[in-house]
Amino acid sequence: MSERPSLWWIDWRLSRGPLVQETIGRFLFFCLLGFALLSLLLSGGVSRILADRYAITAMLRAEVPSSEAEGLARKAAALPPVRSATYRDPEAAWEEFLRAYPGLGPVRGAGENPLPGYIEIRIRPDRLTGADVDLVVSSLRSVPLIEHVLAGEVWLPRLLRAGRLASRACWGIFGAFLACFFLVGRLQERARAVALAGDFSFLAERGVPSGRLAFFRAAGAAVSGFLLAAAGTAAGGGALFLFLRMFPFLEGVVGPPSDLLLPRTVAAAALFSCGAALLSAAASVLGWRAARPGRK
Amino acid sequence: MTRILSVLLAAAVSLCILFPAASPGARDVAGELRKERGRLLEMKEREEKTTRELTEALRKEKLSKGRVGELQERLKRQRSLLSRIDRDVSTLNVRLERAEKAVRELEAAHGQARTGLHRAEVVAFVGQRAGAGDPWYPSARERERHFMRVYLAADAEGVARITRARERKEEERYGLERQVAVTERKMAREKKVGDTLLSRQEKERQRLADIGREKKRKVKELKSLRAKIARMESVVSRVERQVKERERRARKAAPGGSAARGPAEAPRRFASLSGGLSAPLAGKVVTRFGRQHDTTFDVTIENRGVEIEAPSGASVKSIGRGEVAFAGAVSGFGNVLIVQHGGGLFSVYGRMETFLVKQGEAVKKGTVVGRLQGSPSGKSVLYLELRAGGTAIDPTSVIPLDS
Repeated sequence: MSERPSLWWIDWRLSRGPLVQETIGRFLFFCLLGFALLSLLLSGGVSRILADRYAITAMLRAEVPSSEAEGLARKAAALPPVRSATYRDPEAAWEEFLRAYPGLGPVRGAGENPLPGYIEIRIRPDRLTGADVDLVVSSLRSVPLIEHVLAGEVWLPRLLRAGRLASRACWGIFGAFLACFFLVGRLQERARAVALAGDFSFLAERGVPSGRLAFFRAAGAAVSGFLLAAAGTAAGGGALFLFLRMFPFLEGVVGPPSDLLLPRTVAAAALFSCGAALLSAAASVLGWRAARPGRK
Repeated sequence: MTRILSVLLAAAVSLCILFPAASPGARDVAGELRKERGRLLEMKEREEKTTRELTEALRKEKLSKGRVGELQERLKRQRSLLSRIDRDVSTLNVRLERAEKAVRELEAAHGQARTGLHRAEVVAFVGQRAGAGDPWYPSARERERHFMRVYLAADAEGVARITRARERKEEERYGLERQVAVTERKMAREKKVGDTLLSRQEKERQRLADIGREKKRKVKELKSLRAKIARMESVVSRVERQVKERERRARKAAPGGSAARGPAEAPRRFASLSGGLSAPLAGKVVTRFGRQHDTTFDVTIENRGVEIEAPSGASVKSIGRGEVAFAGAVSGFGNVLIVQHGGGLFSVYGRMETFLVKQGEAVKKGTVVGRLQGSPSGKSVLYLELRAGGTAIDPTSVIPLDS
């Protein structure tokens, strides 16, 4: 009984040198994609940027004491869509106003501060939608201590639409990179199949079915793709973690580094690795088919 | 003084009537008496005229003094009013100055506030133009815009408040100016009134001075006349003594000298008059006998009789038995009736209107001899004088009269 040879890692055994180069290249690419994926996952596209820039301002009445205002801020912070609610007294409002309009300082002189205190309410990035904003605004407007609520009703819909478009663009770019990865992988697989065509013909003449050969090649590509994607994502995550630690101001754009270890982030990274495996397998099959005789 | 002279005149007249021709030897004396009586009457007329003029001068003086006093009182009130108006004007001026100062301050504050508002508007415009469409911090920009609206509204309210305050102050100032103008006009008017009063007072003073000079002249003239009358009285007394001496000598020379002796022998007293005495009428004594001070003329008068106030037209009765020695008009006393009671006793009734007896008619005690004059006030006065031996005596000492 003749022993049939294992076809696992046939390419590694037939063309080790080029495959090492391809593996290194794919790892680096997955590092980049993992970095981008985790950044997008943490930031939610541009949601975190928008949530950091957008705030609802509840202008208090002039006679509201600080203790009541702080109590009101605590109640507002307890609303589900609200990330934080901060009370600023009239003095802080006046200083902020003078920072915005520095020319008014000498004009006002020693006059009385006409500005009231206010509560600044920030929305969670994942709840920054028109419905949630309306919910918070309607809750605030029902409070008698609040005289006026500034929620950007005029420009908020445009901002949210722009945010959605920007997020889609980011994900689109990420998808384009994945597509590039797929196309490049296919080309590499095809080139390798062409280069090893003699070896594959030899094996075919010895009774190895071409389909089986292709399957094993694709399976190897999938495993290596999964491992490379997982490793690259982990490396990218590590780099992002260090990056965020080095540049804390980026937390406002990307998010806190602790979010990297959230289960949903890990699950998304695992899903990405599976997708990368599938893409690697598909690229191997398509490259194999493209390299068959009679096809260019 | 008038009364003194009148009494003297009455005495003289009565003497003339009683002793018209005592004896042939006394004719020269009677002529002298007539002569003296004529001079006395002339002097009396002059004295009466002077007295009337003096009375008129005194009345004018009194009126003038009253007017001067009234003018002084009015001038005092006018000065008080002027000083009050002056104080009011000063107070108003102080208030006006304060109001003007407040208006100036408010105008300055208004100017500053408007300038501040304009600058704030410029800053707001520039700032909002610079931050317009800032997509990076839209909420912060929105809040700043809201703050700017609040700020500008507060500034505009401040400007409006100052404007309202300034308008109120200006209205107050206009009101004060009008008030000052009205008060000053009033003061000028009152000053004019004061000047008029002063001028009138000055004229009145001049008139008073003229009256005073005239009064002095009249008083001097009156004194002179009084002295002449006193001399005349002494003359009459001397003549009276001579008449008595002649009568006494004539009775001694007569064979039945004792026949003529009787009531004229020695002056009798009214108390011993046969039939007694009674009041001439029921009334109240308003002028007493003797030296009395006259407040109107400010002189001391020697009254030779009394004046009894009674209803107008009342009947005048003889105080005792006697004979009507004289019934006629005497200047200053009206109709005068003299009753001779004998023994040198005479009763004189003056200021009567009608006589009910004739000269030479005998009367008894209580005989109605005449009636008093009529008067619009319903009251008239009877002059009653009693003379005993040529001397006037107080009627109230011998007749019960209501004093």
